[in-house]
Amino acid sequence: MSENKILFNTGSFDGISEEIGKLTTNAEESRLKLTPDNADSGLAKLVLTLVELIRKLVEKQAMRRVDGGSLTDDEIERLGETLMKLEMKMEELKKHFNLTDRDLNINLGPLGDLM
Amino acid sequence: MHDNVIDRSRDITILELLDRVLNKGVILTGDIVISVADVDLVYLGVKLMLSSVETMEQLKSGKSIIEK
Amino acid sequence: MEIMIYALLSVKKKPERLHALLAGMNGIAGADLHQLSFDEITAVVSNMSRASLIADKSTAMEYAAVIETLSKHFILLPMRFGSVMESNEAIIHMLERNYHDIQQNLLKVERKFEFGLKVFCDSEKLMAELREKSEAVSKTQRTTVAEIKNSASRIWVNKKLKEHRLEELLVTYVDSVIAEITGQLDRLKTISKIKKMVTPTTIIDGVFLLDKALKDELIHAVGDLQNKFPGLNFILTGPWPPYNFVDFTVK
Repeated sequence: MSENKILFNTGSFDGISEEIGKLTTNAEESRLKLTPDNADSGLAKLVLTLVELIRKLVEKQAMRRVDGGSLTDDEIERLGETLMKLEMKMEELKKHFNLTDRDLNINLGPLGDLM
Repeated sequence: MHDNVIDRSRDITILELLDRVLNKGVILTGDIVISVADVDLVYLGVKLMLSSVETMEQLKSGKSIIEK
Repeated sequence: MEIMIYALLSVKKKPERLHALLAGMNGIAGADLHQLSFDEITAVVSNMSRASLIADKSTAMEYAAVIETLSKHFILLPMRFGSVMESNEAIIHMLERNYHDIQQNLLKVERKFEFGLKVFCDSEKLMAELREKSEAVSKTQRTTVAEIKNSASRIWVNKKLKEHRLEELLVTYVDSVIAEITGQLDRLKTISKIKKMVTPTTIIDGVFLLDKALKDELIHAVGDLQNKFPGLNFILTGPWPPYNFVDFTVK
């Protein structure tokens, strides 16, 4: 198909086709492929993706509370310490299973919309 | 229009089209579909390259270089 | 031998027109196209052997070209590339079982086409602008948490708090752009699906279903939006067959 379907643009395409390419590629690459050969790392990837999603949700909610100003100094202190340790633990786990943030970007379907 | 701009806008049209035809539309699920492009046969590269996995492997091993 | 399905059409009155149209077209790899019907729904299909299908860019585009041509003459729902079933009977049975859903979706897209609007930003520049704004705000109104006690967890909380506020500002900003977009397009009576912050650069990825006759008004509206947000990059594409407006899964 040679028809040009662009109806409006500013004429500035710098980096745009690469960006759109990335959007399209994501859908393909973010599928979790479990096979007998990669069951171990595949499972770690799936579990850590879920854990990371929940960790981020908790962190986000905590920051909302802190920002809201309803927490006492002590509460903030303890919350901060806990969340910081969680983050560090997560980094360790990622390292242990040789996973990057990108690997934990599996398409979780409607679950992904939680963020 | 500059040639480059025409090229780019055609690239974008193609990418938009491929995103639709590969990822959208009516989806047959489960046991009634015989998997064809679903999905490992298809690899859409960042550089506007859509090829079979086989071609991708060739590219990776450096047997041939195909520019878009 | 397997059967590839291209699209599901509403063919109420003009079956002979579809017949003539298909006779003058080819499917992927030059295959003959034919039609399978159940009541008022018709599937446009071609025979193919799975072994012979090369799933590459040009095949996908041939497939899309068939859908594109058909969409100019009939109300249709595009199938996703690679939709293959084992026999004509299986397809007719599928049409029968999903008749209600298919009819509902065909009704929704009647006389309408899909348009895509993506909005890109220079992510670094936008974040820098918002950061400036956020710092100005925290200087005047908000205080960061207990800056006196500099424990590791406090420093961590303050860092996260800054990020959180910045993110909130970004969301607010993107929401304001979306509000402008929907405000402009509501009067065109569109059905829209908008995703925000798909990547740091693609802040909005929207699709709209509207009457093709309103195309020029849509272009005009996007032009207005572009003028309103000179720092963003709006790209409008279309008209497309209604790929993004199929809201059922075949059973």
